[in-house]
Amino acid sequence: MWLTSKIKQVLLVLKPGVVTLKYPFEPRPVPKNFRGAPHWDHHKCVGCGACSDHCSARTILVRDLCQELRVMLYDASRCTYCGKCADICPEKAITMTERFELATDNREDLTERLELFMLTCKRCGRCYDMENTNLIERLDMKGYRYDNLEQRAFIRKTTEQFDEKMLKKSDEYKRPTKVEA
Amino acid sequence: MPTLESIKNRLNEKYKKDIAGSETLYGDTQLFLDIRKDVVRPICNDIISEGGRYLVSVGHDDGDRSGTLGLIHTFSFDADHFKVMVKTAAPADNPVFDSITPDIPNAGWSEREYIDLLGMKFTGHPKPKRLILADDWPEGIHPLRKEVPYNLVPPAAEDVAYQLDECPPGCSVVPVGPFHPSLHEPAHFAVFVDGETIKGCDYRGFMTHRGIEKLCTTQVSYNEVPFIAERICGICGSVHATAYSQVVELAAGIKIPRRADFIRTIMLEIERIHSHLLWLGVAGHLIGFDTVFMQAWRVREQVMWLAEKITGNRKTYGMIVIGGVRRDLTPELCDDLLKVVANIEKETMTIHRAIAGDTAVHKRTKGVGALTREQVVNWSLVGPVARARNVDIDARRDHPYAAYDEMKFDVPVVDTMDVWGTVLVRILEIYEAVKIIRQAVEKMPGGPVLYEFHDPIPPMKHAITQVEAPRGEAVHYVITGEENRAERWRVRAPTYPNLQGVPAMLMNNQFADFPIIVGSIDPCFSCTDRVEVVDMRSGKASVIGSGELEKMSRKR
Repeated sequence: MWLTSKIKQVLLVLKPGVVTLKYPFEPRPVPKNFRGAPHWDHHKCVGCGACSDHCSARTILVRDLCQELRVMLYDASRCTYCGKCADICPEKAITMTERFELATDNREDLTERLELFMLTCKRCGRCYDMENTNLIERLDMKGYRYDNLEQRAFIRKTTEQFDEKMLKKSDEYKRPTKVEA
Repeated sequence: MPTLESIKNRLNEKYKKDIAGSETLYGDTQLFLDIRKDVVRPICNDIISEGGRYLVSVGHDDGDRSGTLGLIHTFSFDADHFKVMVKTAAPADNPVFDSITPDIPNAGWSEREYIDLLGMKFTGHPKPKRLILADDWPEGIHPLRKEVPYNLVPPAAEDVAYQLDECPPGCSVVPVGPFHPSLHEPAHFAVFVDGETIKGCDYRGFMTHRGIEKLCTTQVSYNEVPFIAERICGICGSVHATAYSQVVELAAGIKIPRRADFIRTIMLEIERIHSHLLWLGVAGHLIGFDTVFMQAWRVREQVMWLAEKITGNRKTYGMIVIGGVRRDLTPELCDDLLKVVANIEKETMTIHRAIAGDTAVHKRTKGVGALTREQVVNWSLVGPVARARNVDIDARRDHPYAAYDEMKFDVPVVDTMDVWGTVLVRILEIYEAVKIIRQAVEKMPGGPVLYEFHDPIPPMKHAITQVEAPRGEAVHYVITGEENRAERWRVRAPTYPNLQGVPAMLMNNQFADFPIIVGSIDPCFSCTDRVEVVDMRSGKASVIGSGELEKMSRKR
C-alpha cells in the first residue's frame, strides 16, 4: 500500500515535468481583458467626472480651478484596479492597460493629472468640454489643453478669477489624514 | 420536523407577553421576533432545542431613533430551510443583556465583540475579556457607537498587555504568534502544554481589525461596498461580494437577471476549486509532504489563469456588484472553462489516488484534531470542519442562493471525525464543484447580466443571508439605512466560529500537530513565523525559529 502510493507519487511528479515560468526574465503576456493600470486619454475625456463619482476607492479627484479649467487627478497609490471607471466612462477615454509591474519608489509615478479646458454653455451656464464638442469656438484659441498652467493667458474671460490658492491646493493634494482623539 | 409556523406558534404560546411582534419575510424563509430582553436566554435555548444552529449575533446602535442598543441573535434551521432572528434592545445608557454564551459557547465572541464595540454588558458571560479592540484602546470609547467618528485614532499607550488565561497547574505556556505560518492573520495563541501534550489554549487575535463595518456604514455607499467586501478575505473574495450583494438585493427587493445568478455560481465554484487545491497543498506542506504542495498548486494555477481571463484578475475578481455581475461569459470563455475544469478533475484524481493510500499521510492526519459530532454541534462549527465530523450542513443545498436551486450535486460528508476527514471532504468537493460548473454552463440562460435600478433602497429593512465559502459558511446581516448606505452590516466569516472550536480540537493532541490542526480550519498563512517558548518554572524565554517548529512538525 505504502509502496504503490509512493510509485504513484513519483509518476505524479514526473509526468508534468518542470512547469515554472521564466518570469521575470521572459515576459508573461496577460489576457485580453486584463485590468492593469488605468490610463486616461485626454483627447477623449470631456471632464464629466463620472469616473470620480464611481471610483470605489475614491482615488480620482476633480477640481475646478476656475470656470474654464478643470483638473482631474488620479492617485494610483490606493487604486484597487476594479476598472469601474473604465466601465462607466461615456467617452471610453479610460482604458485598463496591460501594465501591471507598477512598483515604484516615487508616488508621482503613479499619478495621472489632466488639465481640461472647459467652456461655458451660453444657455445653461454650466461648463462643457470644448475640444470634442465645439470646433468653431476652438478656432479663436491657440494652445489649449497642452498648455501648462503658467501660460494661462490663453484662457479667455476669467483670468482674473483664476484661483492660485486652489491651484496650489490641488498641486499639494494629499490623502486625508487621521483624526487624533 | 419544525416549520417556521410551528416555531412561531410555539414560542408565541409560551412567551405570550414577552414577544412584542413577529414578522415573516422573504418568502417564508426568515422569521424575525421582537422580544423583551429578559427572555433572551430561554428563547434562544428553546430555539436550539428545536434544532436551530446558532449563526451570529448582531449588535447595532439605534440611539438616534429609539435611544436603545439593539441585539439580534440569529439561528438557522438547515434541514428545514429557514432562519430565525431574535431581536431585542436595551437602553443605550444601561445596555445590560443576559449572556447566552453559557448555553451556546459559539456566541462567546459575538458578545465579547459588542462589549468592546458597543459597550454592552452581558451578565453571566464566562469570559468577558477584550476581544477586538487593541490592548491600549482607551476604556469607554466604543467605536460602533454612532457618535464615534470612523477615523478616530486615540493616542497609543505603553505597558499594556493582554492578560492570558490562567495556565492549568503543572503545564507550561507556549505562545504561538503573533506571526506564525499556521495562523490566518497576526494572532496569538498561548498553548498550555504538559510535556508535548496540549492541555488547553487561549487566543488573542483581531490584530488586523480595520473597522470595515464602521467604514461601510458611515463613509461609502452601497455600490462601493462589494469591492471592499471582496477584500475581507483573500481566498473567498467572491463569497463576501456575493453575500453582501445578495443581502442588499434581498432587503431592497431587487431581482437580478437569471444569467447573473448562473455567472455568480460559476465564479463561486471556480473559487472553491482554487481554494480547496490551495488548502490541500498547504496541508501537505504542514505535515512535511511537499510533493502534494507542489503538485496541488501546479494544478491550481490553471484556475487562476482562467479567472484572469474571465474577470481580468487572478484574485479579487471585481465581478459581483449589487444587481448582477459586471462581465458576461462569452461562448469562447465557456469552452475554455469546460476544458480547464475537465483537466483539473483529471489531475485532482491523480493526486487523490496518490495520497489516498499513503500510510504516512494517514499517520499524520488520522485521529488528529478529533471532535465528536456533539462537540461540533455544540460549538456550531461550519464547513469542511463540520462535514468531516458527520454534520450534514451546506448552505448551497440548505439555503439555496444564486443558481444552486437548479444544480444537482452531493454534499460529501464523512465520519472520520479528524483532519483526514477534512482532507477527504475538500478533495471530494472539488469534483462536486466541477460537476456544478458543467451544469451551470449547460443550463445558463441568455439575457442581460446586470439589472439597473433607480429607486432608492428603503431604510430599516433587516435581512440575512448565508453563502457557502470553501472553508465554511459566511453569514452577512444587513440593516438598510438612509443616505444610500447601510445602517449596519455584519459579516461573519467562516473562520469566526471555527477558530472558537480550535481549543477543543487541540485538547490532548501533540504540540507538533498544532500547525496541521489550526491549518485544518484553513486560516491563511503568513511566512514570518517565530515561536517563543517560556518556561513557567524558570521564567527563561527561548526562541524557536520557523525552521525548528516546522522541523518538529515534519519529523513526526
